[in-house]
Amino acid sequence: MPEHVAVIMDGNVRWAQKRGLPAASGHQAGVRSLRELVGLCCKWGIKVLSVFAFSYDNWSRSEGEVGFLMSLIERVVKAELPNFGREGIRVSVIGDLSKLPEQLQKLIIDVEETTKENSRLQFIVALSYSGQCDILQACKNIGYKVKDGLIEPEDINKSLIEQELQTNCTEFPFPDLLIRTSGELRVSNFMLWQIAYTELCFFSTLWPDFGKDEFVEALSSFQKRQRRYGGRN
Amino acid sequence: MDFGDEVQKVYCWISHIGSLGLKVLWHFLHFIVSVWFLARQAAYVLESCFISSGLLKRYEALNLGNLRYLAIVIESEEAHQIPKVIELLNWLATIGVKHVCLYDNEGVLKKSKEAILEKLTDATLFEGVDENNLLLDQEHITLEFASISDGKGAVTKAANILFMKYLKSADSGGSSAESIFTEPHMAEALKAVGCRGPDPDLLLIYGPARCHLGFPAWRIRYTEIIHMGPLKSMKYGSLLKAIYKFSMVHQNYGT
Repeated sequence: MPEHVAVIMDGNVRWAQKRGLPAASGHQAGVRSLRELVGLCCKWGIKVLSVFAFSYDNWSRSEGEVGFLMSLIERVVKAELPNFGREGIRVSVIGDLSKLPEQLQKLIIDVEETTKENSRLQFIVALSYSGQCDILQACKNIGYKVKDGLIEPEDINKSLIEQELQTNCTEFPFPDLLIRTSGELRVSNFMLWQIAYTELCFFSTLWPDFGKDEFVEALSSFQKRQRRYGGRN
Repeated sequence: MDFGDEVQKVYCWISHIGSLGLKVLWHFLHFIVSVWFLARQAAYVLESCFISSGLLKRYEALNLGNLRYLAIVIESEEAHQIPKVIELLNWLATIGVKHVCLYDNEGVLKKSKEAILEKLTDATLFEGVDENNLLLDQEHITLEFASISDGKGAVTKAANILFMKYLKSADSGGSSAESIFTEPHMAEALKAVGCRGPDPDLLLIYGPARCHLGFPAWRIRYTEIIHMGPLKSMKYGSLLKAIYKFSMVHQNYGT
């Protein structure tokens, strides 16, 4: 089994449009798919699940849709809090959280604090996240440390940058498997540094229709691949 | 033997049967998925033959307007098959692709740069051009060669340039970290360390695993990625289909 699975949950709005429903219905259906996936990951012993819930680029969507998404995320997190405890799920949130509504920022701090001792599954939610910004903030943090004399410039290497990426919140920062739904064949600025050797699995299924069968197919495909991480056999 | 031992025996027996049953079920599921993949592969090969033979008309006139820069990632062991690489590049030239970045993790293609350029007619080395100035109507194909040192290694070197700028600026009470560590500054610093290639529009992966093997991460934010299978099984029809599919894509860029 992969230790870390990452998912780009794409297709909620298209799902709703196909059914003549408002975009909000698509996002709500997407939440149901996410609940199912989290449950499967817990059952099947996957250690880390990362989901790309809201990209930094998504801020340019309509105010109405962004506002709805922010309140949906808040409602879902509050509703699932007891479940996180019961199922042993540790929640971590990565991204530029300074752009989120203040209420949501406070809620995220609370949830991370409340669930930090849970160890069955680490659930990483990427909100207002950009892979390039992740690399830059890692460099900025190292810059501060160099300025404060904590690191010598000549000691800076790839490992140091990796330690400062926002995925340093987990023991398994590099996804083994990345799933993207809705038929798009790109990573859209998600975990750019971290996915060098990640198995990429693109599904044409829209996110609200992604369920157990599709997840099994992705896992089977992962297990069949011969991965060498840039080395030799 | 008492009742407890009998119950224990039955429990063990049920547990073994259950475990065996689960193993059989798992292998059966794997078998079904394998058959499905095999059938899909056969259909893929057949379709590729039809495309190569020109039977499927829609692949005849490709619109390459959106394909300004193409990246090819080849698994390093397969990258030693230089004749295959040259054949692939000739196919791309025939299709009309003008700018290609060839990448493999270990730099095998970089080391074979001269041999590759010699065998291709009208191919030149990529000199580094602004993304907006990539010419699509030039006669020759330009080639960029990249390896792992142009990926994370290059970002580390570029970051060092920004660190030096930041330290200098902090000492003189100048710019803050926020104004130094920005995307445009990182892009400039990458050019300064020799990574002048633009973001590819399309990335084709030739190899057993469906991953990009460390292709410069900074450059693939919105790049379409297609896994083509092993280089030894490459097909002209599959290449045409991949480029055709790309030409039909519309990107929202998150909006």
